[in-house]
Amino acid sequence: MTLTVTRSGRAAHAAPPARWRGRKVQGWLYAAPTAVIVGVLFLAPLVLVVWMSLNRWPLLGPATFNAPDNYLKIADNPLFVDAVVFTLKYTVITTVLLSGVALGLALLVQERRPGIAFFRTAFFLPGAVGFAAAGLLFYGMLNNDFGPIDPMLQALGITGEPVKWIGTPNMALFSTITLVLWRFAGFNMLILLTGLQAIPTEVYEAARSDGANRWQIFTKITLPLLRPTLALMLILSVTGSLLAFDQFFVFTNGGPDNSTVSMVMVVYRDAFFRFDLGGAAALSVVLLAALVGLNTLMMRRLR
Amino acid sequence: MSRYLTLSALAVLFLFPLAWSGYASLEEPSNYLEMAGFGEGLDTYATNSVLVSVMTVGGTLVVSALGGYGFARFDFPGKNLLFLATLAILMVPYATILIPLYVLLGYLGLQNSLVGLSLVFVMFQLPFALFMMRNAFEALPRELEEAALVDGCGTFRAFSRVLLAAVRPALITVGLFAFLASWNDFFAPLILLNDGSSFTLPVAVVSMTQHTFGAVDYGMLQAGVMVMALPCLILFIVLQRHYVRGFMSGALRG
Amino acid sequence: MRRRLAGISLLGVLALTAAACGGGGGGGGATPADGPVTITMWTRAATQTQTERLVQAYNSSHKNQVKLTVIPTDNYQPRIAAAAGAKQLPDVFAADVIFVPNYTSQGLFMDVTDRIAALPYKDKLAPSHMKLGTLDGKQYTLPHTLDLSVWFWNKDLYEKAGLDPEQGPKTLKEFARHATTIHDKLGEDGKVHGTFFGGNCGGCYVFTFWPSVWAAGAQVMNDDGTASLNDQPVMTEVFRIWRELYEKKATGPTAKEEQGPTWTGFFPKGEIGVMPMPSTTLGLMPKEMKIGVTPIAGPDGGESTFVGGDSVGISATSEHADAAWEFLSWTVSDDAQIEVMAKNKDVLARTDLAGNKYSAEDPRVVLINSLVAKGQTPYALRFGQTYNDPQGPWLRLAREAVFGDAAKVAQLNAEITKSLQQ
Repeated sequence: MTLTVTRSGRAAHAAPPARWRGRKVQGWLYAAPTAVIVGVLFLAPLVLVVWMSLNRWPLLGPATFNAPDNYLKIADNPLFVDAVVFTLKYTVITTVLLSGVALGLALLVQERRPGIAFFRTAFFLPGAVGFAAAGLLFYGMLNNDFGPIDPMLQALGITGEPVKWIGTPNMALFSTITLVLWRFAGFNMLILLTGLQAIPTEVYEAARSDGANRWQIFTKITLPLLRPTLALMLILSVTGSLLAFDQFFVFTNGGPDNSTVSMVMVVYRDAFFRFDLGGAAALSVVLLAALVGLNTLMMRRLR
Repeated sequence: MSRYLTLSALAVLFLFPLAWSGYASLEEPSNYLEMAGFGEGLDTYATNSVLVSVMTVGGTLVVSALGGYGFARFDFPGKNLLFLATLAILMVPYATILIPLYVLLGYLGLQNSLVGLSLVFVMFQLPFALFMMRNAFEALPRELEEAALVDGCGTFRAFSRVLLAAVRPALITVGLFAFLASWNDFFAPLILLNDGSSFTLPVAVVSMTQHTFGAVDYGMLQAGVMVMALPCLILFIVLQRHYVRGFMSGALRG
Repeated sequence: MRRRLAGISLLGVLALTAAACGGGGGGGGATPADGPVTITMWTRAATQTQTERLVQAYNSSHKNQVKLTVIPTDNYQPRIAAAAGAKQLPDVFAADVIFVPNYTSQGLFMDVTDRIAALPYKDKLAPSHMKLGTLDGKQYTLPHTLDLSVWFWNKDLYEKAGLDPEQGPKTLKEFARHATTIHDKLGEDGKVHGTFFGGNCGGCYVFTFWPSVWAAGAQVMNDDGTASLNDQPVMTEVFRIWRELYEKKATGPTAKEEQGPTWTGFFPKGEIGVMPMPSTTLGLMPKEMKIGVTPIAGPDGGESTFVGGDSVGISATSEHADAAWEFLSWTVSDDAQIEVMAKNKDVLARTDLAGNKYSAEDPRVVLINSLVAKGQTPYALRFGQTYNDPQGPWLRLAREAVFGDAAKVAQLNAEITKSLQQ
């Protein structure tokens, strides 16, 4: 496995030279397939979602305009209000842990040594497993009757009786976050690795010859130079966590006692179980607006 | 040495779930036989999954390579807006947009079709793919293109003959992730396909495990997990050299 | 490599265009009016076995054909909702009988009142299924499968614990005594438990606890399904008895966490003394296991059952209503009911066929069939989102009553009423 790093990218970010400009038609032709896909399959349905949010929208039969009722009733939806709090909590915990674990892994495998390729693969491999499959896998693995974890912990004398992996609010959150870490740590490690590899070795050598110790090098050189990469990871993790659905849907089903209901689960419930398509659309519009706002803010602050 | 100890311990933690799943599914090899005969037959679902994945990968590569080049090398009105609109795909709850999409595919005559499903997957892949490809093209030295142009190629020929080869690692990375997403997704095929004979593997496997009310066959469950995961794991390892380079070659730099 | 890549991209484009030009393919479409018709049908995985048997028997004996699609149970309702929203329902679809009033009120099923009136056995169809398929005097569905809640007891464990293996419990209190005895005598190593229930599963609670209320002559909701009576004395007494069983640890340690997917899985392993079970699982029990079956009783006696299962109707958007009805009416004919359903020990959709040439082989089947007329299926428009949905108010009430703070029941009952009236 070879890891050659090309550092030729910077110059290319400069503005195109004069003879490259003004070829608008050609540029549009290249971007046209993207525009068609985004326009037809994303923006058009999005417009429909916005329109739905302004109507009482039954499963079959005509819709009736009722704006802004669907938006006003969001505040009366206690499940959603609780879900906002929970989702924020989940996002903070997941993002902190994921960054920490991914950074740790990246630091451990950043230098080329014999066998290091194997470890990179090992950490990255769970990312290949889909969420449905990963959820079913953990569901079986943590099952008290069938799974291997309980007998192992008991044999090691760590626990006396079966652990209620999804039985209490804290354990359910813990188990879900474990699943997420397992599946995504490797991917984030790879992102951070690209950032680490981009730091020129000369910078480290200079610092070392100035007598800096490892901790100083890490805080004064690695972290600041890693900032753009960390920012990208942060944005991906926050967006992904705020929209968390599959991990709870497959694994805890929102339980126990509604303690792991994420915002998107409420949207899902309103649309597919309460058939309130208008209300679900209103929730989605609010979520989308919040996410766009938050991401704009993060990009400004972090760049 | 302590670094290797730590690494080994971590590797065991990360690999254990997969190893256990494989072991649990093989405890009773009949799990696989039972699955093979389920519903329309496992081969039908696998074929559907392969078709959808191939179309998704092909579509994503074509659209994002063209788009990435356009975004990297040209200025045109609406460029930033289109780019932001593409990134906004990441910010919409999956569950909500599916019903309007379903209605829309009906208008297009693509309801209940693997083609329609693949187009939806291409759309969901675009933010990542376009971002990757744009940065990969930007990272190419401009001289490469100039040289091709001087040789008398038009920009499209320069693009297709010279530049595509140069961004190969990024293309492989984009293709791999498009494959993983389309192969593994459960929710979109569940909602967008009407007909059991066009279901993909994840829908079939989840059906299987809920077959008997109130009792889960855990061995069969893990056999299903393995059938879904193995192709991804193999592809992942085989292509590793390429996509690691794809990531490294500046593809993920802001 | 360059060429190969160009080739791949080209292939991709070709595949996309070729397939797009090929159109959707399959499914319904225009068939000549008098030729054989293929109708599409959906059912959930939980009742797949019965539905597949019916479809196979029909397809092998009729010109018209039924194409069945099985959908994962937990995702069935979302699937129906999405299909209805996009006007792409199949010709025929089955649904958990509990959801039928909601579906009919949303206009998903076609009115088949006149067609049902023409059936010679129209008055013999499972009464509670028929009641839930009726809206404003019009009928929309036929019974498809029936699944009744009954108590199963494990005769071997009864014998080992010194109980009479031939006498099942006659009251809920006796049920609790039996479960406690088995736990005390056999539960030491933690493998055998007195009883079990789905403690984190709203649908399991209604299916297994409510019959005890009905058996005592009480109700859980008003007739319109708009007011909850789950804070009334009989219900709280039933909760109290189960709570005691849990506190004595006679219920098995995972009862509180059981979300539903595995709640019937422990009895067949021989780990449970006595528990409420769905009647459809009787045919799936290990052959050598000695199982007694008895109706669910109230705290002090009586008997009742929750008549669950699926109803089936023609979708409002179907273009093959006649062909669809030909199939549906066949599924409740003598032929299908006896040669397909009864032959496989399934509960019959008709009360007049309870005693037939197959049922005589197993007195337990006769007992279950006889309960169809005695049991109830609660009616409420907002049933699913109130009682089945894990985020609904009922699961919270039941869990507080059994594991938590029973004093909260009154307040949570008001929330159930609110949810029912939405």
